[in-house]
Amino acid sequence: MIEAQNLTRRYGDFLAVDRISFSVDEGEIVGILGPNGAGKTTTIRMITGFLPPSSGRVTVAGRDLIESSMEARRELGYLPENVALYTEMRVVEYLAYRARLFGLKGSEAKRSIGEALERCLLTDVQDQIIGTLSKGYRQRVGLATAILHRPKVLVLDEPTIGLDPKQIVSIRALIRGLAKESTLLLSTHILPEVELLCDRVVIIDRGQIVAQGTPEDLRESWLGNPVVRVELESAAPGAVDRFRAVDGVVDARQDGEHPERIELECAAGRDVRAEVFRAAVDGGLTLLELTEAKASLEDVFVRLTTTDAAREVPEEAAEPAVEEVAS
Amino acid sequence: MNGIWANLVRELRAYFFSPLAYVVLTLLMLINGFVFTLIVSFLNDPRASGAAAPLQLFFGQTLFFWLVLLFVAPVLTMRLVSEERRSGTIEVLMTAPVTETQIVVGKYLAALTFYVFLWLPTLVYAGVIAYFSELDWGPVASGYLGVLGIGALFLSIGTFASTLSRSQLVAAIATFTLLMPLFVFGLLESLFNSELLKTAFGYLNLWQHMDEFAKGIVDTRRLVYYVSASVFFLFLASRALEARKWR
Repeated sequence: MIEAQNLTRRYGDFLAVDRISFSVDEGEIVGILGPNGAGKTTTIRMITGFLPPSSGRVTVAGRDLIESSMEARRELGYLPENVALYTEMRVVEYLAYRARLFGLKGSEAKRSIGEALERCLLTDVQDQIIGTLSKGYRQRVGLATAILHRPKVLVLDEPTIGLDPKQIVSIRALIRGLAKESTLLLSTHILPEVELLCDRVVIIDRGQIVAQGTPEDLRESWLGNPVVRVELESAAPGAVDRFRAVDGVVDARQDGEHPERIELECAAGRDVRAEVFRAAVDGGLTLLELTEAKASLEDVFVRLTTTDAAREVPEEAAEPAVEEVAS
Repeated sequence: MNGIWANLVRELRAYFFSPLAYVVLTLLMLINGFVFTLIVSFLNDPRASGAAAPLQLFFGQTLFFWLVLLFVAPVLTMRLVSEERRSGTIEVLMTAPVTETQIVVGKYLAALTFYVFLWLPTLVYAGVIAYFSELDWGPVASGYLGVLGIGALFLSIGTFASTLSRSQLVAAIATFTLLMPLFVFGLLESLFNSELLKTAFGYLNLWQHMDEFAKGIVDTRRLVYYVSASVFFLFLASRALEARKWR
């Protein structure tokens, strides 16, 4: 549904986005992830047609954003980073204005507005002046604007930024609901959001794509083997060697400060907890904790956007070197 | 068409909901009322020449008319595009299926409509004159035509200036800076001896134009000037809005 090819954008001498290519298939939710200033918003703006790329091209639902701009814009719903609204208007008036912009008329417009209000839970405030609404409600008005004309593609730039935790939960639920009908591209620097919402992630840093794939893929390919954490009642000599001997454990490391804590690196795809338990019992060791340490996407993100090594890895790095787990 | 109409309606609403518009309306009514009273009492004086009709003086002969016009145009137009750029609403506007030209024209027409609304109360003066004495409606109509034409020109310049900055203040000052020479150039007519320059500047003499309109002379050259210049500035405005993309 979205096809971005070699998007590049310069602001004067500054290269904000450098040859970014990716695509979003129908029905997919793709997250653009990156630290602040990585070029997320610039990328999003090029995809919505607000900024023309310095070079490269974008098609939305098969329509080129420059050549058949009007048709492409009709297929697109956009929630910009700072949801700017006309503060002197009432919610329902603003939506009526947007409907008119998209050429929706009469009963069709009415139906679309009613539906958008309902889906974004705005029915209660529809007659309020936008200037008096809280940030969370404004965000919802922005979302209602984006879905008003039933676009095939929704582009959301930092949809939960600046909201309180409760509002974030409700906006996320809303987004998940929207995703059932549209293709979704959202940018964020909030990692749990990506894990919760996205089928696929594109990680951008300094204007370039540093990795893309499903959250699971990224975890596996960038973080190496799964880790199991063990805590014993007290440090016992030989415990490390005992655990190292368990089938499926690649390596065992003792924590320097707390020798009773041991980290086990396991072979890919193996759950060794049962064996570790038995090994502990056999050795007369008392277990206080036995947990699978799930590497989070955060670890991937931090690795990709902070270490220099990551930057040298090509985008389609399918087989990255298995390195030590950074945790 | 959707784009023009939607923006026209929205901008017009914005005018009627902003306090600024009512300040302008009040000020305009105060000044116009004052000028009208002055004219009427002047003409009622037995020593007055009495040759001129009151509304002819009202439209053509006082500096107030121009002072008002030179201030009203920047104030009405300064918000149009600047505010969209400042608040960021331009982002969702420009990603909707509307062209730059539609946006500019819609906003301009809203300003022009509101401008016409501002002049509506002055119809009362015509009513007053018609009630107490005889009134030739022809020159009154042509006077209003002049007000509309020159207003259209001034507002188009204001609309253009508004696309240049995200600050309303800068837009207003830019408009004023563009309007001032346009108005003053015409007045320089009398300073030239060369026939050619005299004609050229005479063609641009807005004061002279308004005086003619107020007397009931409708010169189509004037109308062509206003319309073509307005179209030119609206074209510039739409280009300026497009240029935003390439910076």
